[in-house]
Amino acid sequence: MDVTAVDRSAVLGDTLLHRAAPASKLVAAGLLLGAVVTMDDPLVAAGLALSLTGAAAAVRLPLRQMLPLAAYPALFALVFAFAAAPGPATGALFVLKAVTAALAVVTLMFSTPYPQVFAPIQRITPTIVGDALLMTYRSLFILADKFADLQRAIRLRAGISARQPVRAARATTRALGGLLLYSFDLSQREYDILRLRGYEGGLRVSVHTSRDRSADGAALAYATLVLGVAVAFRVLPALAGYAWIATLAGALDLTVGLLIGRRTR
Amino acid sequence: MSHIHIPDGVLPWWLWLGGWALAFGLLALASREGARVESRRAVPLIGAVSALVLVSMATEIVPIAYHVNLTVIAGVLLGPWLGAISAFIVVLVLALLGHGGITVVGLNTLVIASEMAIGGALVRTGARAFGRTRIRPVAAVSTVVTLALTTTMLVGIVAIAGAGAATRETGALDAETLEFRNPFSGGVVSVGLLGGHDHEGETEEEHAEHADEGGLSVGRFAAVVYTLGPLGWLLEALVTAGVLGYVARVRPSLIFGAMRVEPQYPRYGDEHGRH
Repeated sequence: MDVTAVDRSAVLGDTLLHRAAPASKLVAAGLLLGAVVTMDDPLVAAGLALSLTGAAAAVRLPLRQMLPLAAYPALFALVFAFAAAPGPATGALFVLKAVTAALAVVTLMFSTPYPQVFAPIQRITPTIVGDALLMTYRSLFILADKFADLQRAIRLRAGISARQPVRAARATTRALGGLLLYSFDLSQREYDILRLRGYEGGLRVSVHTSRDRSADGAALAYATLVLGVAVAFRVLPALAGYAWIATLAGALDLTVGLLIGRRTR
Repeated sequence: MSHIHIPDGVLPWWLWLGGWALAFGLLALASREGARVESRRAVPLIGAVSALVLVSMATEIVPIAYHVNLTVIAGVLLGPWLGAISAFIVVLVLALLGHGGITVVGLNTLVIASEMAIGGALVRTGARAFGRTRIRPVAAVSTVVTLALTTTMLVGIVAIAGAGAATRETGALDAETLEFRNPFSGGVVSVGLLGGHDHEGETEEEHAEHADEGGLSVGRFAAVVYTLGPLGWLLEALVTAGVLGYVARVRPSLIFGAMRVEPQYPRYGDEHGRH
């Protein structure tokens, strides 16, 4: 889970999606999650996953970094599908739902700086929760870097080796212990900074507006269309035999998206 | 498997919405209780500990689909109320990175907050009873007991979801015969947009039959998590014991400061208590 790659893309990227207002992207992500909740056909789910990948490729989001992150929940969904699904088609549906939902949120996070995503959450949660959320994300980068350094140092000293699992486990545990001590020192430093700055609760985030209205419209129209398709396949019995069309359309979206992404490069 | 890796759209809407409502109630209560701690101190502390839990969760043990959680350690360091806030933050950030569904954030918050509260309480009670020198075994046993309890909570959630979960074999493609079929022949009303089937007018036998066809297989799920789970519990127990033991040795005030655990060895004099 490379959190720094997500942040780098969200802050430094300049795709069509980056130019849309965070509020529009949050609503679009919500509509896409609505589609994931609604759909109950693996073929429709596959179509949506392909289409979303195509959309991300068309606006030139970093697919190589996004796809592993979106595929990560598939591993856990596979275990859940094996454990609880009543049949193979439902198992496939579980995995595809996990991947599609992950793709939707990962697309949001790769195109929107985290304070902008957290700002609406801050408004509906108690002050301490919203502030701690922002502080967590800040600390996450620092601790992730520190942990990577610690692991590298241990590996260089031959502390992590497959041949000596007990020694490796002991070294990793000490690294985590060291990280815990470091995280406490970090929180102490942050406390000092907050005290110096006269913090009394309530970190403010200035919300970005849209830099391109057409980007907002495109994101919302796409998400609404996807939700419409998912609802249609769920409620209209006449469409039941044509779910393969959704997969085909998704594959087409992916192809077109890849071509557009390559042409605009 | 301390928290739910259930994808969005699998659990019935009333269950995950109920989870969100309960989680918000818990957050409101936790914020009120947490306000007793100075917010300037609480905010960075929650941030640092939540980030630590997130970093540990990013390390996954592939064959058993398990990752270290450090939730018991977070419970020891933060206590139950600040722990509940940390649980929500951890689950939300994970969901935003594609790890765990957005709809199950509420339920996951309840499970992880319970894990932090129970784990923290067990370690504190154990340390008081057996002394700080036995922090490693106390931490290991507390972690196993806590994870067993929260895994049972997880099985309970899946059991509550049961046949109401949206897991119907309604795909147009029949995976067994590889033929296209019409699963909606019962009519549009029977589809049930956000929940399970509408079995109005069925006899009890028919209803039970349909429930077996479409619902989550709770028995199999329980069998799998109780088979794979203990491996994870053991790993987590070893890591928790190792980390708490290490911290207790190099900076005991972090763990025992808030606990007021009396040392089991003489405080003054040499190792035999002689002055």
